[in-house]
Amino acid sequence: MTSHAKRLSQGGLIDRSKPINFRWDNGKVSGYQGDTLASALMASGESILGRSFKYHRPRGVMSAGVEESGALVTVGVSHRRDPNVKATTQEIYNGLAAFGQNAWPSVRRDLGAVNGLFSRFFAAGFYYKTFMGIPPMEWGKKGTGIWMQYEKLIRRAAGMGKASRLADPDSYEHGHLFCDVLVVGSGPAGLAAAVSCAKAGLDVIVVEQDFEAGGDYLNQSSTDAATKRTQAIEALKSAGARVMTRTTAFGLYDYGVAGLLERVTDHIGDPDPHLPRQRFITLRAKHTIIATGALERHIAFGNNDVPGVMTAHAANAYLNRFAVLPGQNIRVATNNDSAYGVALNLAKAGADVKVMDARTDIPDSVSGLLDTKGVELYTGVSVLEAKGSRAVSGFQSAKAAGDGWQVGDHHNCDLLLVSGGWSPVVNLLSHRGVRPGWDADNCCFVPSPTTEAIQVAGSALGVWGTGDCEDSGRAAATAAIESIKTGTISFANGPAAGGWETPIKPLYEVRVEGQSQKSFIDPQHDVTADDVRLAHQEGFVSVEHLKRYTTLGMATDQGKMGNIIGMALMAEALGKEIPEVGTTTFRPPYTPISLGALTGRGSGAHFKPLRRTPLHEWNLENGATMVDAGLWQRPWYFAREGETITEAYIREATTTRETVGLCDVTSLGKIAIQGPDATEFINRVYSNAFAKLPIGKARYGIMLRDDGIVMDDGTTWRFSETDYFMTTTTAHAAKVMVWLEELLQTRWSNLRVHVTSVSEQWAGVAVAGPESRATLQACLADATVITNEALPFMGVLETTLKNGVPCRIARISFSGEMAYEVYVESDYANSLMDLLHAHALDANGCLYGTEALGALRIEKGHVTGVELDGRTTIDDAGLGKMASETKSYIGSALRKRPEMMKEDRPRLVGIFPKDRSEKFKAGSILCAEDKVEGHGEGWITAVTHSPALGHWIGLGYISGGSASWSGKTVVAADPVRTGNVEVEIVSPHMVDPTGERMHG
Amino acid sequence: MADITVARVSALAGYYNPGQYGAVESGVVIREVSDLNLWQLAAWPETLSAAAENLATASGVGSVPGFGCATGTESLALLRIEPLKFWVYGVSASSNGSDESVVLDLSHSRTQLRITGEYATTLLNGYLPVDLRDAAFPVNSVASTAFHHVGVTLWRSPAGYELFMPRGFALSLWELLQESALQYGLVIE
Repeated sequence: MTSHAKRLSQGGLIDRSKPINFRWDNGKVSGYQGDTLASALMASGESILGRSFKYHRPRGVMSAGVEESGALVTVGVSHRRDPNVKATTQEIYNGLAAFGQNAWPSVRRDLGAVNGLFSRFFAAGFYYKTFMGIPPMEWGKKGTGIWMQYEKLIRRAAGMGKASRLADPDSYEHGHLFCDVLVVGSGPAGLAAAVSCAKAGLDVIVVEQDFEAGGDYLNQSSTDAATKRTQAIEALKSAGARVMTRTTAFGLYDYGVAGLLERVTDHIGDPDPHLPRQRFITLRAKHTIIATGALERHIAFGNNDVPGVMTAHAANAYLNRFAVLPGQNIRVATNNDSAYGVALNLAKAGADVKVMDARTDIPDSVSGLLDTKGVELYTGVSVLEAKGSRAVSGFQSAKAAGDGWQVGDHHNCDLLLVSGGWSPVVNLLSHRGVRPGWDADNCCFVPSPTTEAIQVAGSALGVWGTGDCEDSGRAAATAAIESIKTGTISFANGPAAGGWETPIKPLYEVRVEGQSQKSFIDPQHDVTADDVRLAHQEGFVSVEHLKRYTTLGMATDQGKMGNIIGMALMAEALGKEIPEVGTTTFRPPYTPISLGALTGRGSGAHFKPLRRTPLHEWNLENGATMVDAGLWQRPWYFAREGETITEAYIREATTTRETVGLCDVTSLGKIAIQGPDATEFINRVYSNAFAKLPIGKARYGIMLRDDGIVMDDGTTWRFSETDYFMTTTTAHAAKVMVWLEELLQTRWSNLRVHVTSVSEQWAGVAVAGPESRATLQACLADATVITNEALPFMGVLETTLKNGVPCRIARISFSGEMAYEVYVESDYANSLMDLLHAHALDANGCLYGTEALGALRIEKGHVTGVELDGRTTIDDAGLGKMASETKSYIGSALRKRPEMMKEDRPRLVGIFPKDRSEKFKAGSILCAEDKVEGHGEGWITAVTHSPALGHWIGLGYISGGSASWSGKTVVAADPVRTGNVEVEIVSPHMVDPTGERMHG
Repeated sequence: MADITVARVSALAGYYNPGQYGAVESGVVIREVSDLNLWQLAAWPETLSAAAENLATASGVGSVPGFGCATGTESLALLRIEPLKFWVYGVSASSNGSDESVVLDLSHSRTQLRITGEYATTLLNGYLPVDLRDAAFPVNSVASTAFHHVGVTLWRSPAGYELFMPRGFALSLWELLQESALQYGLVIE
């Protein structure tokens, strides 16, 4: 079915010198630069552009903006397929491919339209009533399974297009903008406001969702409007204001923050590959002026969704902006003055136009205008039912009869325009929690006053005339300028809401009692006026319940088209006024936002910031396979050719115990603690004594939280009276740093101490094994500084490498072997490792990664983050003897709560498989042999194959600790993976329990 | 102390390739300032005034900068990164602490990029939520802020924006900056 629309040979804002070729449902179509997809298709004679959600009814263009509910299409192909694009806002470009959606084989002929035959069964609540609460859907799991099958069929039959399942090939980015005044909307009010603010010297940003600035100026036929628009934009440019088109202010947030979505390349067929598709911008403004305009409402009457029924002002836009006369035989149904100008414009363009005004008392000053152009006016008349199935062919009129309507005459037409009043776009103010108030005189919700730095101007305020909107914009600007100047909130003193000569007649639905018709109030979700009445009959009387039961306003337009009508009908059913029924709270985003824009560049490899040690490249060059450790990348293992990870880590751990191993430990947290009171500070933080730590010594420390639970462990090295170097676990480095800073700033601000993270300043290597001393000595300028006497266990010193690089050395061990941690400034890390590695190879040593590190520490029973998981006391970890009984420290009081001191708390233990050839997994639950159920008696935190012992071992916690389970069989239960394994509970110190190897 | 016989290795080594990339314009110019010399001096409320005076004298500046500001001479700059903390940029400081203040070498903890060009501000505001307009962030302003969740320091020096990134994150952030800068035309010096 083709429409009667035609492209005019002159006029409009399209550029006829730039034809654009694109595809619509695989057919070739052309338009001009400046066209939207809707205007180009309309000019090409296309009338059916979509199919409805449930009933697959044919739908055409219903509006000319973001409120569009009929012409929803899919744009793009393959991995760039984008569903639910409004044809009324999509710019055309060469190569654009657009398709009808929710239809097969096409929107013109859709087999799914058979659904319409059963529409009486598909009323609100159909799914709940039919598929839930009755057998077989309630047959337990089986019923759920049946429902899920039905659900698939329903989802296939209904829908809003299909997104591509392929990865999005485009890039997106975030941005931050700042300004004095943000003006949302560039219509008469927005431009007037922006110009006033810019001329006052303020930094102004104007955002406009359209691809052209101008708002309603663009839709007007007068040269005066065009001149005003051009002059305003020029004035803004010369004042340095920024005008951002193709940018939607989708949300307003606290303290002048606005969320913007800038569509950078959605209008370009072959964009620069370096450009992002969209930008998600966080804008911070001192003041915001909302000039978002108003949306024209439909009226609910029978078949009001048939192609060829659209809002009156949309026709004005197609005529004046896009040079498309959308019909030849046009009828305009209205209840307000705004449609008269549209009728005149259309008549001037050559159409046969008649106006049906639901009002009966129209002054001559208004009706006389129509006479001059030969436009007939019918008063007290509206539309009862549109005729035509694939395009409007006429309508049954309704005549006013008392408070209701009676059936009128039949009229022919090829375009039926509707103006049911206007709804100010109050969404952004609603985001701030400001509920709009009902203006009965203008039949719309208008913004309520706010004490925030926000002004509303123009038709967003319910001001209808262009001149009044300009005045309203200027008044808002004056208030904004004053607010910024004085730092207080000023209120605008602009024109009041309204502006029509004849009052609007409240009209939301036209029907005659006893006559059945399908009157849509939310075409996107196929919600009808009868659905609202049905919801009321079934007890859903709150607007919020109504919305959820009928899905009114829950589609992509979020109620832009139907909310007011829905509330009006509910109010009527309840016998209340509209404001008594309430209003829905609009929430961001105003229009849909792609997930890609929310993500920005934080996807793929940059989903999280990667943190690399200074030895990252060195490790890779030497065969490391890396693993994520939080944000860090750490060497996991260094496999030789043909080795598996298991073979590699067993070899690495074995070599370390036999000769020497080198491991990059840069990721450990490192904190410089400086100041005259540093010793006192550290002594308060750690649970064990630090007051008398000598210079040149390190000590292992455990710090607790206030509640007595272990926070972290590590070593602290003392270099001078006032200078300490603390190491933390990799996992808790930031947490400890923040904790220390908090203590100094909030509790002990009298202590003269500064803490600074130096994790990035120093690169560290663990040198472990019997040959560690010799290996390290070979790298030092003076080998004697680390003899057993010069640097005993827990000794620290500063010296230099052979290449002159300064280094810090501590004789400490995580592996249980004689070992050192060596630190150099990060830019010298490679040179340290080059030296160490060469000498380690001489001693038949090797590099080792975190997998071998884990094996070595499990053998020794050394705890890490998996054991110190926020539930563990110092006694649970078997370190209770370290805790001082003589000093006060963080957590010292609460660690002694009775519950924390119970003997049967889970305690750290070692775990062997009873059958040494078996293995078990971390995460298994430890249960008594005769009671394998529930949460058991404990859990396994870490497992490894022990190269030293020759079988699998584990660490974990079990109630009462190893002494309580001596000689008893315990079951490591892992029902969803390996099943049950019988284990023995042993001391956590499974290798070299007396530390002979460590002390050398 | 023996002379150091090896060169410092940047966090961007192997990934910093001078040239022109992306769009044909040269909207953004980035240069890594290598061999960073950066020390921190921290005082306490009761010692700040004396420490600041000593620092100003030792640095040859009239007075130390206020919080969020920088000042300097041809050879060095002082950045007030926290109310009680200064960064001394460009020269080595004594590592000896005192009752009045403590000093700390941070020269290897940061990677420094100098970002200039017509779109330098736009590029940085793609990540940094800081008002970088001339009036709000004039030359010699300093801010601690976040770049893709990572804490960074930005100083607007007379030569351009000086971005100090934690060394371990530097490569990841460098990759992001390059990717974003291509649309403006990127020159890596």
